[in-house]
Amino acid sequence: MQQLDSLVHRDPFDLLRRFIPTPLRAVYRIGSHRVMVQTNDFTLLPALPLEANPNIPAEQTLEWKLIRDMDSSGDLESPTLMTSAAVTVVVMGTGCLLGLDHERRELLGFIGRSIDARTHQEFIVPFLCRMTSEALFAGEVAGPNGQNQESAND
Amino acid sequence: MTLTFNRQTLPFRTDFLIAGTQCLLATNSHEILQAAAHWRSPANHAAVSSFEMEVIVDPDMDGNSEQPAHFRGNRHLVFGILPPRSFVAYDLLRRRVHAVLSPAAASDRSFWNKLLLPITIGVLGTTIGVVPLHCACLHRHGNGVLVAGVSGAGKSTLATALAHRGFAFISDDWAYVSKTNSGLLAHGLSFPIKLLPDAERFFPELRALTPKSTLNGEVAYELDPTQSSAFDLKMSTHPRNIFFLERVSAGGCRMIPCRAEFVRDFFEQNAERLPDELPEAKALRSNVIQLLSACRSWILRTSENPQRTAAALDAFLLEVNRATA
Repeated sequence: MQQLDSLVHRDPFDLLRRFIPTPLRAVYRIGSHRVMVQTNDFTLLPALPLEANPNIPAEQTLEWKLIRDMDSSGDLESPTLMTSAAVTVVVMGTGCLLGLDHERRELLGFIGRSIDARTHQEFIVPFLCRMTSEALFAGEVAGPNGQNQESAND
Repeated sequence: MTLTFNRQTLPFRTDFLIAGTQCLLATNSHEILQAAAHWRSPANHAAVSSFEMEVIVDPDMDGNSEQPAHFRGNRHLVFGILPPRSFVAYDLLRRRVHAVLSPAAASDRSFWNKLLLPITIGVLGTTIGVVPLHCACLHRHGNGVLVAGVSGAGKSTLATALAHRGFAFISDDWAYVSKTNSGLLAHGLSFPIKLLPDAERFFPELRALTPKSTLNGEVAYELDPTQSSAFDLKMSTHPRNIFFLERVSAGGCRMIPCRAEFVRDFFEQNAERLPDELPEAKALRSNVIQLLSACRSWILRTSENPQRTAAALDAFLLEVNRATA
Protein backbone atom coordinates (compact mmCIF):
# COMPACT_ATOMS: atom_id res chain seq x y z
CA MET A 1 0.00 0.00 0.00
CA GLN A 2 1.31 3.41 -0.96
CA GLN A 3 0.44 5.07 2.33
CA LEU A 4 2.11 2.39 4.42
CA ASP A 5 5.27 2.45 2.31
CA SER A 6 5.55 6.19 2.69
CA LEU A 7 5.70 5.86 6.47
CA VAL A 8 8.65 3.46 6.40
CA HIS A 9 12.04 5.10 6.02
CA ARG A 10 15.31 3.35 6.71
CA ASP A 11 18.45 5.15 5.59
CA PRO A 12 21.53 4.96 7.82
CA PHE A 13 22.97 8.06 6.15
CA ASP A 14 19.86 10.12 6.77
CA LEU A 15 20.15 10.53 10.52
CA LEU A 16 18.01 13.67 10.50
CA ARG A 17 15.19 12.02 8.47
CA ARG A 18 15.54 14.71 5.80
CA PHE A 19 14.77 12.40 2.93
CA ILE A 20 11.53 10.79 4.05
CA PRO A 21 9.47 10.80 0.85
CA THR A 22 6.29 12.90 0.90
CA PRO A 23 4.26 11.56 -2.03
CA LEU A 24 0.85 12.76 -0.84
CA ARG A 25 0.04 16.25 -2.05
CA ALA A 26 -2.89 18.61 -1.93
CA VAL A 27 -3.45 22.29 -2.66
CA TYR A 28 -5.61 24.51 -0.50
CA ARG A 29 -7.03 27.95 -1.12
CA ILE A 30 -7.16 30.21 1.89
CA GLY A 31 -8.66 33.55 0.94
CA SER A 32 -6.52 34.93 -1.85
CA HIS A 33 -3.60 32.71 -0.97
CA ARG A 34 -2.59 29.17 -1.82
CA VAL A 35 -1.08 26.60 0.51
CA MET A 36 0.56 23.56 -1.09
CA VAL A 37 0.81 20.65 1.33
CA GLN A 38 2.96 17.57 0.94
CA THR A 39 3.14 14.74 3.42
CA ASN A 40 3.83 11.04 3.89
CA ASP A 41 0.60 10.42 5.83
CA PHE A 42 -2.85 11.35 4.58
CA THR A 43 -4.09 11.89 8.16
CA LEU A 44 -1.79 14.91 8.27
CA LEU A 45 -3.52 16.58 5.33
CA PRO A 46 -5.39 19.51 6.90
CA ALA A 47 -9.17 19.71 6.91
CA LEU A 48 -9.14 23.04 5.09
CA PRO A 49 -10.93 24.14 1.88
CA LEU A 50 -9.22 22.60 -1.15
CA GLU A 51 -8.13 24.74 -4.07
CA ALA A 52 -11.13 24.59 -6.38
CA ASN A 53 -9.56 26.25 -9.40
CA PRO A 54 -5.76 26.15 -9.68
CA ASN A 55 -5.95 28.46 -12.68
CA ILE A 56 -6.94 31.40 -10.52
CA PRO A 57 -3.71 33.14 -9.56
CA ALA A 58 -2.89 33.40 -5.87
CA GLU A 59 -1.46 36.48 -4.23
CA GLN A 60 1.03 34.38 -2.35
CA THR A 61 1.83 30.70 -2.13
CA LEU A 62 3.17 28.93 0.90
CA GLU A 63 4.33 25.33 1.17
CA TRP A 64 3.78 23.02 4.10
CA LYS A 65 5.86 19.85 4.27
CA LEU A 66 4.51 17.68 7.07
CA ILE A 67 6.26 14.46 7.95
CA ARG A 68 4.79 11.71 10.07
CA ASP A 69 7.82 10.68 12.11
CA MET A 70 7.30 7.04 12.98
CA ASP A 71 10.56 6.96 14.96
CA SER A 72 9.38 9.62 17.38
CA SER A 73 7.08 8.46 20.14
CA GLY A 74 6.98 11.62 22.28
CA ASP A 75 3.77 13.31 23.34
CA LEU A 76 2.92 16.95 22.77
CA GLU A 77 4.30 19.39 25.29
CA SER A 78 3.43 23.05 25.73
CA PRO A 79 4.86 24.97 22.78
CA THR A 80 8.05 26.99 22.88
CA LEU A 81 8.30 29.50 20.00
CA MET A 82 11.68 30.74 18.86
CA THR A 83 11.28 33.67 16.51
CA SER A 84 13.79 35.65 14.51
CA ALA A 85 13.51 37.82 11.43
CA ALA A 86 13.85 34.92 9.00
CA VAL A 87 12.66 31.83 10.82
CA THR A 88 10.13 30.79 13.46
CA VAL A 89 10.64 27.44 15.15
CA VAL A 90 8.08 25.78 17.41
CA VAL A 91 9.10 22.95 19.69
CA MET A 92 6.36 20.89 21.35
CA GLY A 93 8.64 18.16 22.60
CA THR A 94 9.68 15.32 20.31
CA GLY A 95 6.03 14.87 19.29
CA CYS A 96 5.98 18.00 17.14
CA LEU A 97 8.73 20.15 15.67
CA LEU A 98 7.83 22.95 13.27
CA GLY A 99 9.96 25.44 11.38
CA LEU A 100 8.72 28.29 9.23
CA ASP A 101 11.06 30.11 6.87
CA HIS A 102 9.37 33.47 6.32
CA GLU A 103 11.43 34.43 3.27
CA ARG A 104 11.22 31.10 1.48
CA ARG A 105 7.58 30.61 2.53
CA GLU A 106 8.18 27.06 3.65
CA LEU A 107 6.71 25.48 6.75
CA LEU A 108 8.45 22.22 7.60
CA GLY A 109 7.24 19.92 10.34
CA PHE A 110 7.73 16.56 12.02
CA ILE A 111 4.71 15.03 13.74
CA GLY A 112 5.39 12.04 15.99
CA ARG A 113 3.55 8.75 15.73
CA SER A 114 1.67 9.27 18.99
CA ILE A 115 -0.10 12.37 17.69
CA ASP A 116 -3.45 11.10 16.44
CA ALA A 117 -5.39 12.60 13.55
CA ARG A 118 -7.84 14.40 15.80
CA THR A 119 -5.11 16.07 17.85
CA HIS A 120 -3.39 17.02 14.62
CA GLN A 121 -6.53 18.59 13.13
CA GLU A 122 -7.72 20.29 16.29
CA PHE A 123 -4.45 21.48 17.73
CA ILE A 124 -1.56 21.40 15.27
CA VAL A 125 -3.38 22.52 12.11
CA PRO A 126 -4.68 25.70 13.80
CA PHE A 127 -1.13 26.29 14.95
CA LEU A 128 0.13 25.90 11.38
CA CYS A 129 -2.57 28.29 10.19
CA ARG A 130 -1.58 30.84 12.78
CA MET A 131 2.09 30.60 11.83
CA THR A 132 1.14 30.93 8.18
CA SER A 133 -1.07 33.85 9.01
CA GLU A 134 1.65 35.65 10.89
CA ALA A 135 4.15 35.00 8.12
CA LEU A 136 2.04 35.98 5.16
CA PHE A 137 -1.44 37.10 5.67
CA ALA A 138 -1.41 39.23 8.83
CA GLY A 139 -4.46 37.59 10.32
CA GLU A 140 -6.41 36.91 7.11
CA VAL A 141 -6.14 33.12 7.24
CA ALA A 142 -9.21 31.20 8.17
CA GLY A 143 -8.88 27.98 10.13
CA PRO A 144 -10.45 24.58 9.56
CA ASN A 145 -13.97 25.82 10.28
CA GLY A 146 -13.72 28.90 8.17
CA GLN A 147 -13.10 31.10 11.20
CA ASN A 148 -9.98 32.76 12.44
CA GLN A 149 -8.28 30.25 14.66
CA GLU A 150 -6.51 30.73 17.92
CA SER A 151 -3.99 28.27 19.16
CA ALA A 152 -5.53 25.57 21.31
CA ASN A 153 -3.01 26.33 24.00
CA ASP A 154 -4.11 29.93 24.39
CA MET B 1 6.14 30.69 25.59
CA THR B 2 7.59 32.91 22.86
CA LEU B 3 11.25 33.84 22.74
CA THR B 4 12.35 36.51 20.28
CA PHE B 5 15.91 36.72 19.01
CA ASN B 6 16.98 40.30 18.37
CA ARG B 7 19.43 42.91 19.58
CA GLN B 8 17.24 43.84 22.53
CA THR B 9 16.93 40.31 23.86
CA LEU B 10 20.60 39.45 23.19
CA PRO B 11 22.68 42.28 24.68
CA PHE B 12 26.02 40.46 25.04
CA ARG B 13 28.22 39.80 22.02
CA THR B 14 31.54 38.16 21.37
CA ASP B 15 33.24 36.01 18.77
CA PHE B 16 35.58 33.04 18.87
CA LEU B 17 37.21 30.45 16.65
CA ILE B 18 36.18 26.83 16.62
CA ALA B 19 37.37 24.20 14.13
CA GLY B 20 38.88 26.98 12.04
CA THR B 21 35.62 28.88 11.70
CA GLN B 22 34.49 32.05 13.44
CA CYS B 23 31.41 32.00 15.67
CA LEU B 24 29.67 35.35 16.14
CA LEU B 25 27.87 34.83 19.42
CA ALA B 26 25.04 36.90 20.89
CA THR B 27 23.43 35.98 24.19
CA ASN B 28 21.58 37.27 27.23
CA SER B 29 23.74 35.21 29.60
CA HIS B 30 26.98 36.05 31.36
CA GLU B 31 27.54 32.34 31.90
CA ILE B 32 27.45 31.64 28.17
CA LEU B 33 29.75 34.57 27.54
CA GLN B 34 32.22 33.14 30.04
CA ALA B 35 31.93 29.63 28.61
CA ALA B 36 32.71 31.02 25.15
CA ALA B 37 35.93 32.53 26.48
CA HIS B 38 37.34 28.98 26.51
CA TRP B 39 37.45 29.18 22.71
CA ARG B 40 38.91 32.66 22.31
CA SER B 41 41.82 32.58 19.88
CA PRO B 42 44.56 34.98 18.86
CA ALA B 43 43.19 37.87 16.82
CA ASN B 44 45.48 37.10 13.89
CA HIS B 45 44.14 33.56 13.49
CA ALA B 46 42.39 33.40 10.12
CA ALA B 47 38.96 31.77 9.93
CA VAL B 48 37.78 30.02 6.78
CA SER B 49 34.22 31.24 7.35
CA SER B 50 31.81 32.36 10.03
CA PHE B 51 28.41 31.62 11.47
CA GLU B 52 26.03 33.41 13.82
CA MET B 53 24.90 31.83 17.07
CA GLU B 54 22.19 33.41 19.21
CA VAL B 55 21.58 31.88 22.62
CA ILE B 56 18.82 32.80 25.05
CA VAL B 57 18.96 31.38 28.54
CA ASP B 58 15.39 31.21 29.79
CA PRO B 59 14.99 31.05 33.56
CA ASP B 60 11.54 29.49 33.11
CA MET B 61 12.89 26.41 31.34
CA ASP B 62 12.80 23.39 33.60
CA GLY B 63 16.19 21.68 33.36
CA ASN B 64 15.07 18.61 35.27
CA SER B 65 13.48 16.95 32.25
CA GLU B 66 15.15 13.67 31.34
CA GLN B 67 14.28 14.05 27.67
CA PRO B 68 16.83 12.28 25.45
CA ALA B 69 18.61 14.08 22.62
CA HIS B 70 16.45 14.29 19.50
CA PHE B 71 17.41 15.79 16.13
CA ARG B 72 15.44 16.16 12.92
CA GLY B 73 16.11 18.08 9.73
CA ASN B 74 14.23 19.10 6.65
CA ARG B 75 15.76 20.93 3.73
CA HIS B 76 17.91 23.70 5.25
CA LEU B 77 16.41 23.64 8.74
CA VAL B 78 17.55 21.34 11.56
CA PHE B 79 15.81 21.12 14.93
CA GLY B 80 17.34 19.69 18.08
CA ILE B 81 16.34 18.93 21.63
CA LEU B 82 19.22 18.37 24.03
CA PRO B 83 19.21 17.42 27.67
CA PRO B 84 18.92 19.15 30.09
CA ARG B 85 15.92 20.69 28.29
CA SER B 86 17.41 22.89 25.63
CA PHE B 87 16.24 23.61 22.11
CA VAL B 88 18.39 24.48 19.15
CA ALA B 89 17.49 25.37 15.57
CA TYR B 90 19.96 25.51 12.69
CA ASP B 91 19.41 27.49 9.52
CA LEU B 92 21.98 26.02 7.14
CA LEU B 93 21.29 28.45 4.31
CA ARG B 94 21.86 31.54 6.42
CA ARG B 95 24.47 29.90 8.70
CA ARG B 96 22.56 30.88 11.82
CA VAL B 97 21.92 29.01 15.04
CA HIS B 98 19.22 29.86 17.58
CA ALA B 99 19.21 28.14 20.94
CA VAL B 100 17.13 28.32 24.09
CA LEU B 101 18.88 26.85 27.09
CA SER B 102 17.64 26.00 30.53
CA PRO B 103 19.65 27.57 33.36
CA ALA B 104 20.93 24.06 34.16
CA ALA B 105 22.40 23.73 30.66
CA ALA B 106 23.81 27.26 30.69
CA SER B 107 25.66 26.69 33.95
CA ASP B 108 27.20 23.43 32.74
CA ARG B 109 30.44 24.20 30.87
CA SER B 110 30.65 20.64 29.56
CA PHE B 111 27.21 21.07 27.94
CA TRP B 112 28.52 24.06 26.02
CA ASN B 113 32.02 22.81 25.22
CA LYS B 114 31.45 19.08 24.74
CA LEU B 115 27.90 18.90 23.48
CA LEU B 116 26.33 22.00 21.97
CA LEU B 117 29.37 23.45 20.17
CA PRO B 118 30.67 20.15 18.71
CA ILE B 119 27.15 19.22 17.57
CA THR B 120 26.76 22.69 16.06
CA ILE B 121 29.95 22.29 14.03
CA GLY B 122 28.82 18.82 12.97
CA VAL B 123 25.38 20.05 11.85
CA LEU B 124 26.54 23.23 10.10
CA GLY B 125 29.52 21.34 8.72
CA THR B 126 30.15 21.93 5.07
CA THR B 127 27.94 25.05 5.03
CA ILE B 128 30.66 26.78 7.08
CA GLY B 129 33.55 25.26 5.18
CA VAL B 130 34.22 22.42 7.61
CA VAL B 131 33.75 18.84 6.44
CA PRO B 132 32.95 16.42 9.27
CA LEU B 133 34.59 13.04 8.66
CA HIS B 134 33.98 9.98 10.80
CA CYS B 135 37.65 9.44 11.67
CA ALA B 136 40.02 9.39 14.58
CA CYS B 137 42.71 12.01 14.13
CA LEU B 138 46.24 11.99 15.53
CA HIS B 139 49.61 13.55 14.82
CA ARG B 140 53.01 11.85 14.60
CA HIS B 141 56.40 12.89 13.21
CA GLY B 142 54.98 16.21 12.00
CA ASN B 143 52.14 14.64 10.02
CA GLY B 144 48.44 14.18 10.59
CA VAL B 145 47.10 10.62 10.72
CA LEU B 146 43.44 9.84 10.09
CA VAL B 147 42.02 6.48 11.15
CA ALA B 148 38.77 5.78 9.34
CA GLY B 149 36.51 2.78 9.52
CA VAL B 150 32.93 1.74 9.90
CA SER B 151 31.23 2.11 13.29
CA GLY B 152 32.50 -0.59 15.64
CA ALA B 153 35.78 -1.12 13.78
CA GLY B 154 37.75 0.04 16.82
CA LYS B 155 38.80 3.58 15.90
CA SER B 156 38.52 4.89 19.45
CA THR B 157 40.42 2.01 21.08
CA LEU B 158 43.17 2.24 18.44
CA ALA B 159 43.34 6.04 18.83
CA THR B 160 43.68 5.62 22.60
CA ALA B 161 46.44 3.03 22.14
CA LEU B 162 48.22 5.31 19.67
CA ALA B 163 47.97 8.22 22.13
CA HIS B 164 49.53 5.99 24.79
CA ARG B 165 52.44 5.39 22.37
CA GLY B 166 53.11 9.11 22.08
CA PHE B 167 50.94 10.15 19.14
CA ALA B 168 49.47 13.60 19.75
CA PHE B 169 45.72 13.16 20.17
CA ILE B 170 43.21 15.31 18.27
CA SER B 171 40.01 13.26 18.09
CA ASP B 172 38.83 9.67 18.49
CA ASP B 173 35.62 9.89 16.50
CA TRP B 174 35.12 12.93 14.28
CA ALA B 175 37.65 15.07 12.44
CA TYR B 176 36.52 18.43 11.01
CA VAL B 177 38.49 19.12 7.86
CA SER B 178 38.76 22.53 6.21
CA LYS B 179 40.71 23.98 3.30
CA THR B 180 43.28 26.57 4.25
CA ASN B 181 46.05 28.41 2.43
CA SER B 182 48.48 25.83 3.78
CA GLY B 183 46.42 22.84 2.64
CA LEU B 184 43.85 20.71 4.41
CA LEU B 185 43.59 21.12 8.16
CA ALA B 186 41.86 18.56 10.39
CA HIS B 187 40.45 19.83 13.68
CA GLY B 188 39.24 18.00 16.74
CA LEU B 189 36.76 19.13 19.35
CA SER B 190 36.94 18.14 22.96
CA PHE B 191 34.46 15.32 23.01
CA PRO B 192 35.31 12.72 25.66
CA ILE B 193 36.71 9.51 24.15
CA LYS B 194 33.96 6.92 24.09
CA LEU B 195 35.17 3.38 24.72
CA LEU B 196 32.81 0.41 24.80
CA PRO B 197 32.77 -1.63 28.03
CA ASP B 198 34.96 -4.42 26.58
CA ALA B 199 37.79 -1.87 26.13
CA GLU B 200 38.66 -2.37 29.80
CA ARG B 201 40.46 -5.56 28.69
CA PHE B 202 43.01 -3.34 26.95
CA PHE B 203 42.93 -0.30 29.21
CA PRO B 204 42.66 -1.47 32.84
CA GLU B 205 42.56 2.13 34.04
CA LEU B 206 38.98 2.27 32.74
CA ARG B 207 37.90 0.09 35.67
CA ALA B 208 38.11 3.18 37.85
CA LEU B 209 35.31 4.74 35.73
CA THR B 210 31.64 3.85 35.39
CA PRO B 211 30.18 3.32 31.91
CA LYS B 212 27.45 5.83 31.05
CA SER B 213 24.61 5.99 28.57
CA THR B 214 25.86 8.27 25.79
CA LEU B 215 23.97 10.63 23.51
CA ASN B 216 23.39 7.95 20.88
CA GLY B 217 22.10 5.46 23.44
CA GLU B 218 25.25 3.34 23.67
CA VAL B 219 26.65 2.45 27.06
CA ALA B 220 30.33 3.41 27.08
CA TYR B 221 33.18 4.64 29.18
CA GLU B 222 33.79 8.34 28.68
CA LEU B 223 37.47 9.08 29.03
CA ASP B 224 38.37 12.75 29.28
CA PRO B 225 41.77 13.15 27.61
CA THR B 226 42.23 16.55 29.25
CA GLN B 227 42.26 14.83 32.64
CA SER B 228 44.95 12.28 31.77
CA SER B 229 48.69 12.81 31.57
CA ALA B 230 48.84 9.96 29.04
CA PHE B 231 47.48 12.25 26.32
CA ASP B 232 49.44 14.89 24.43
CA LEU B 233 46.56 17.00 23.13
CA LYS B 234 46.62 18.97 19.91
CA MET B 235 43.85 21.04 18.30
CA SER B 236 44.57 20.45 14.62
CA THR B 237 46.93 18.87 12.10
CA HIS B 238 47.56 18.64 8.38
CA PRO B 239 46.38 15.16 7.36
CA ARG B 240 49.01 13.28 5.36
CA ASN B 241 48.32 9.61 6.11
CA ILE B 242 45.00 7.76 6.18
CA PHE B 243 44.37 4.27 7.52
CA PHE B 244 41.13 2.41 6.94
CA LEU B 245 40.75 0.09 9.89
CA GLU B 246 39.34 -3.39 9.30
CA ARG B 247 39.05 -6.02 12.00
CA VAL B 248 39.71 -9.60 10.89
CA SER B 249 39.83 -12.82 12.90
CA ALA B 250 43.37 -13.93 11.98
CA GLY B 251 46.47 -12.95 10.04
CA GLY B 252 48.14 -10.37 12.28
CA CYS B 253 48.43 -6.75 11.18
CA ARG B 254 48.89 -5.74 7.55
CA MET B 255 48.95 -2.41 5.71
CA ILE B 256 47.58 -2.65 2.18
CA PRO B 257 48.03 0.43 -0.03
CA CYS B 258 44.80 2.01 -1.31
CA ARG B 259 44.10 3.86 -4.50
CA ALA B 260 42.75 7.41 -4.48
CA GLU B 261 39.41 6.12 -5.79
CA PHE B 262 39.02 3.92 -2.71
CA VAL B 263 39.59 6.91 -0.40
CA ARG B 264 37.18 9.07 -2.33
CA ASP B 265 34.48 6.42 -2.50
CA PHE B 266 34.79 5.55 1.18
CA PHE B 267 34.31 9.13 2.38
CA GLU B 268 31.62 9.97 -0.16
CA GLN B 269 29.64 6.84 0.61
CA ASN B 270 29.91 7.21 4.38
CA ALA B 271 28.99 10.90 4.45
CA GLU B 272 25.65 12.22 5.60
CA ARG B 273 23.30 12.91 2.72
CA LEU B 274 22.86 16.62 2.10
CA PRO B 275 19.69 18.23 0.73
CA ASP B 276 19.47 19.82 -2.71
CA GLU B 277 19.09 23.21 -1.04
CA LEU B 278 22.82 23.11 -0.19
CA PRO B 279 24.63 22.69 -3.53
CA GLU B 280 27.69 24.68 -2.42
CA ALA B 281 28.09 22.52 0.65
CA LYS B 282 27.94 19.38 -1.48
CA ALA B 283 30.55 20.77 -3.86
CA LEU B 284 32.87 21.82 -1.03
CA ARG B 285 32.68 18.38 0.56
CA SER B 286 33.48 16.67 -2.72
CA ASN B 287 36.42 19.02 -3.21
CA VAL B 288 37.83 18.32 0.26
CA ILE B 289 37.40 14.58 -0.22
CA GLN B 290 39.13 14.83 -3.58
CA LEU B 291 42.07 16.59 -1.92
CA LEU B 292 42.12 14.00 0.86
CA SER B 293 42.32 11.23 -1.67
CA ALA B 294 45.80 12.48 -2.56
CA CYS B 295 47.05 11.52 0.94
CA ARG B 296 49.06 8.35 1.46
CA SER B 297 46.50 5.74 2.44
CA TRP B 298 46.32 2.11 3.44
CA ILE B 299 43.81 -0.45 4.59
CA LEU B 300 44.91 -1.47 8.06
CA ARG B 301 43.72 -5.05 8.38
CA THR B 302 44.31 -6.40 11.85
CA SER B 303 43.48 -9.30 14.10
CA GLU B 304 45.72 -7.94 16.88
CA ASN B 305 44.75 -6.12 20.03
CA PRO B 306 44.81 -2.29 19.98
CA GLN B 307 48.26 -2.02 21.56
CA ARG B 308 49.90 -4.38 19.05
CA THR B 309 48.07 -2.75 16.19
CA ALA B 310 49.25 0.66 17.41
CA ALA B 311 52.83 -0.60 17.66
CA ALA B 312 52.68 -1.99 14.12
CA LEU B 313 51.21 1.24 12.76
CA ASP B 314 53.80 3.34 14.58
CA ALA B 315 56.69 1.25 13.18
CA PHE B 316 55.13 1.33 9.73
CA LEU B 317 54.80 5.13 9.74
CA LEU B 318 58.41 5.46 10.83
CA GLU B 319 59.47 3.37 7.81
CA VAL B 320 57.25 5.41 5.50
CA ASN B 321 58.73 8.65 6.79
CA ARG B 322 62.28 7.33 6.36
CA ALA B 323 61.52 6.19 2.84
CA THR B 324 60.03 9.55 1.86
CA ALA B 325 62.51 11.77 3.74
